Amino acid sequence: MPSDPVEGHTAKAFDGALTQLRLHAVGMGGLVIDQVSTAVRALLEADANLAQTVLARESQVNDLERAVDREAFELIALHQPVAGDLRMATAVSRMTVELERAGDESKKIARFAGRMASGEPQGPVRAVARYLQHMADLTTGMLRDAVRSLDESNSDLAERVRARDSELDAEFAAALRQLLTLAMQDQRYLGVTIDTVFALKGLERIGDHAKNIAEQVVFIASGRDMRHKKSVGQASA
Amino acid sequence: METAVANEDAARNAHNPAPQSGSATPRVTIAVDDTRKVRTLNVKAAVDNLSFYYGQHRALKNLTIPIAERQVTALIGPSGCGKSTFLRCFNRMHDLQPDTRYEGSITLHPDDLNLIGPGVDPIEVRMRIGMVFQKPNPFPKSVFENVAYGLRLRGVRNRAMLAEEVEKALRGSALWDEVKDRLQDSALALSGGQMQRLCIARALATTPEILLFDEPTSALDPIATAKIEELISTLRDQVTVLIVTHNMQQAARVSDYTAFMYLGELIEFDEAAKIFTNPAKKATEDYITGRYG
Repeated sequence: MPSDPVEGHTAKAFDGALTQLRLHAVGMGGLVIDQVSTAVRALLEADANLAQTVLARESQVNDLERAVDREAFELIALHQPVAGDLRMATAVSRMTVELERAGDESKKIARFAGRMASGEPQGPVRAVARYLQHMADLTTGMLRDAVRSLDESNSDLAERVRARDSELDAEFAAALRQLLTLAMQDQRYLGVTIDTVFALKGLERIGDHAKNIAEQVVFIASGRDMRHKKSVGQASA
Repeated sequence: METAVANEDAARNAHNPAPQSGSATPRVTIAVDDTRKVRTLNVKAAVDNLSFYYGQHRALKNLTIPIAERQVTALIGPSGCGKSTFLRCFNRMHDLQPDTRYEGSITLHPDDLNLIGPGVDPIEVRMRIGMVFQKPNPFPKSVFENVAYGLRLRGVRNRAMLAEEVEKALRGSALWDEVKDRLQDSALALSGGQMQRLCIARALATTPEILLFDEPTSALDPIATAKIEELISTLRDQVTVLIVTHNMQQAARVSDYTAFMYLGELIEFDEAAKIFTNPAKKATEDYITGRYG
């Protein structure tokens, strides 16, 4: 019996429909990962062209959300899946929402990058550049592994993505402290400082979306609903 | 072998009698985990270590399933898995066939009657357990006489009482409004779906405790099927229902509990919602998702 959950149906057309659905979700994931890393690069390098690239591709992310969600919807209507197949269809549908929101956060960061490129003061961004880069590495890493765990049906990898979210939260808190110190020392750049906080918060939210995607991969594999549950290593609230 | 273990697991998970004080009827707690509500129900029929033989062939192998009272229990599985054989044990249909043998017990509660016990009269069993077949099989009589037949066999002669009971049964099978003006017409003039509901009314007229359905909609169109399914859902208010179906979506729609059988063994038994969203056994998942064959 094949271990891949989209294969092995007597009706091969159903195998194909599930494979396509997953493939399209993974493709959408790839685009969003690139949106995140490009947006942060645009911000750190104050590059208007890179920022524009992200903004121009935003509509593609939205189109993919609608298309993949529609595909999942039609698969449910036409094939009436049950058990693991049903979990796959509903989970992919939820994932598209997470990916689209991650794309939205990238768009906001890109807009901020565009303003930086057109002459806004860069002090606050430079003050937390190390954090921005590290958080971008963490979030794109989490997103990449979350999407990979879907592609490979690897719930162990998905579980590890969940566990990494706390590292991102800690990094965000440290960056925030740094910016607060800066704001107290020099209040001239308060507006840019607030925008920088939003950029950091956006990256932290993208990490949450990656975690949510990973939770859906666990749901597909085992039926366990991990939403709103602490991962191993996280302190209880 | 996985199925043998599955059978034991299913029995252990499902059959957990906890007698209430002052009541002889066992209770059963079915399907408990951290996300689902605990449901404790009366057991209408306790199937315990049931095996059945056609000559030397063992068609059912040590089945243990609690049939919850006034709930719909569906039996699913590939052709030849024994689900119809299992259903027919309940009203002793196999007795009509030579060289067959039962082992184990099916205890009907609350009076603890072993339906397959050697001293139990199959006619008495069939009075208490009705059956509806795949193909509607009304008698070549009027609509009224079809429903009144079982009552007459029981000695009911009073015409007013017969009329009252026939109406009640026809209302119970959601057919009354369609046939009330042609009760004396031949039952054979009804549509397939109406005939099937007439057969249900005929079974209901003798107030059975359990109603068995053997693929009751496989010969019907989608609208007639929907009417029968709706009827089965409402019947659970008055009778315990056991249904064999090849239609997975139908089992999911109408049943409270679902048993998956394979090669005469019980693989998994649980709430229908659990079976169709996250079955515990891989064999169940493979079957319901269409990965067999």
